[in-house]
Amino acid sequence: MIQLQGVNKWFGDLQVLADINANVARGEVVVVCGPSGSGKSTLIRTVNRLEEIRSGTILVDGRNIHAKMPAAELNAMRSRIGFVFQSFNLFPHLSALDNIILSPHRVNGLGRAAARDRAMTLLERVGLANRAHSFPAQLSGGQQQRVAIARALAMEPPAMLFDEPTSALDPEMVGEVLAVIRGLAQEGMTMMCVTHEMSFAREVADQVWFMDAGRILETATPGAFFGAPQHPRAQRFLSDLRAR
Amino acid sequence: MLHNAIAIVSENWLLLLIGQYPNGPLGGIAATLILSVLGIVLAFPLSVLIALARISRWRLLRAPATALVYLVRGVPLLMIIFWVYFLFPLLLGANVPGFATMVCTLVIYEGAFLSEVVRAGIEALPRGQMDAARALGHSYPRAMRYVILPQALYNMLPAILSQFISTIKETTLGYVINVPELTFAANQINNRLLTKPFEVFLILALTYYAVCWSLTWVATWLERRIATRRAGPAPIGMMAARA
Repeated sequence: MIQLQGVNKWFGDLQVLADINANVARGEVVVVCGPSGSGKSTLIRTVNRLEEIRSGTILVDGRNIHAKMPAAELNAMRSRIGFVFQSFNLFPHLSALDNIILSPHRVNGLGRAAARDRAMTLLERVGLANRAHSFPAQLSGGQQQRVAIARALAMEPPAMLFDEPTSALDPEMVGEVLAVIRGLAQEGMTMMCVTHEMSFAREVADQVWFMDAGRILETATPGAFFGAPQHPRAQRFLSDLRAR
Repeated sequence: MLHNAIAIVSENWLLLLIGQYPNGPLGGIAATLILSVLGIVLAFPLSVLIALARISRWRLLRAPATALVYLVRGVPLLMIIFWVYFLFPLLLGANVPGFATMVCTLVIYEGAFLSEVVRAGIEALPRGQMDAARALGHSYPRAMRYVILPQALYNMLPAILSQFISTIKETTLGYVINVPELTFAANQINNRLLTKPFEVFLILALTYYAVCWSLTWVATWLERRIATRRAGPAPIGMMAARA
């Protein structure tokens, strides 16, 4: 579903992604973890080309999203990959409902009534049907992130990317967002998730990728990774996390 | 002196209000306000286009827009009035009335200044807004239209209004090309009376002050309201730029 092949990226003289080779199979959940500055967020942003890369290919559903292509094609490819941001990035001038309606209606040309029905179904699913007409500023962080997930799902993407979806939340709101993501995993959604929630990773992930300094140092099942990490850097990272 | 001023107003209020209309062209405060409104209303879409060109990836759009803004900002308004006044008839091969000349000038001048306001408004939005729109599959123009501009322009409302206020004051320069606006009317009165310039121009100043002050008051009120809405819990019905 998502195949990264020889991906390299530089910010000036700094190599932020170094020879990344990895695959996410259909229906698989991959958790990307690692210390801050390791390139996790950059990596996930290259998968829908919010970031350009210097070399390599990233195949999404068999097509290289970093190939030269007309803008319209790239937009179409992006619309098939859901993306959830750390800072939610809801559109503050639109209600929760209109945030969700906007893209199916304007990008996919879905009729307003149909888009509205779909949005209401999604709001129900994330437990926010009663907040449909609230504006983002009136919602808590957890609620905003759940609306943001619903907004991404409204495009019916076969794959979802999560960039630290709970890092900006107060601790008591982390659970409600993870519950929604867990539900998606159970339905077989293909997902990549950058997160520091290790218990969540252990429970939901099929694979864990451990990154440091722009490289994937270890790829393992959560059992193997949390039980017996191979790379010394990963061992140190996990013991630091546990000491917290 | 005060009763002189009152007498002047009571004898000339119609001239100050609408000029010699309907026996001549519309003038006075009416002309001033119409000039300002036309100037800003026509300059506004132009300013959005200039702002978009200024932040464009394409040099071909960016360079001329930037040049225009720098040129207009670096030249006194009076120069632009003269340029339009003498150049447009040559280019068009027809006579251009003073009123139209003044509207064209204001559109060019205000368009350039407003475009900087609009550009600042766009660039002040968090980058995540554009990222989110693009990640959902919106094209750049659509992201601008449905996500970026509605927010940026709403945030810029007070700045746009204060630009409108300076436009009102800039219409006074229409006087030099005989546009019968408020200053022109006051000068007509002064020429007729000959002996009361202080009173006449006091009236003129107070009139401009009253108009501009009330608009400044509206701008301040608007600014406070927007600030409360942005911070606060109740933006229901906030600018229904519906999806």
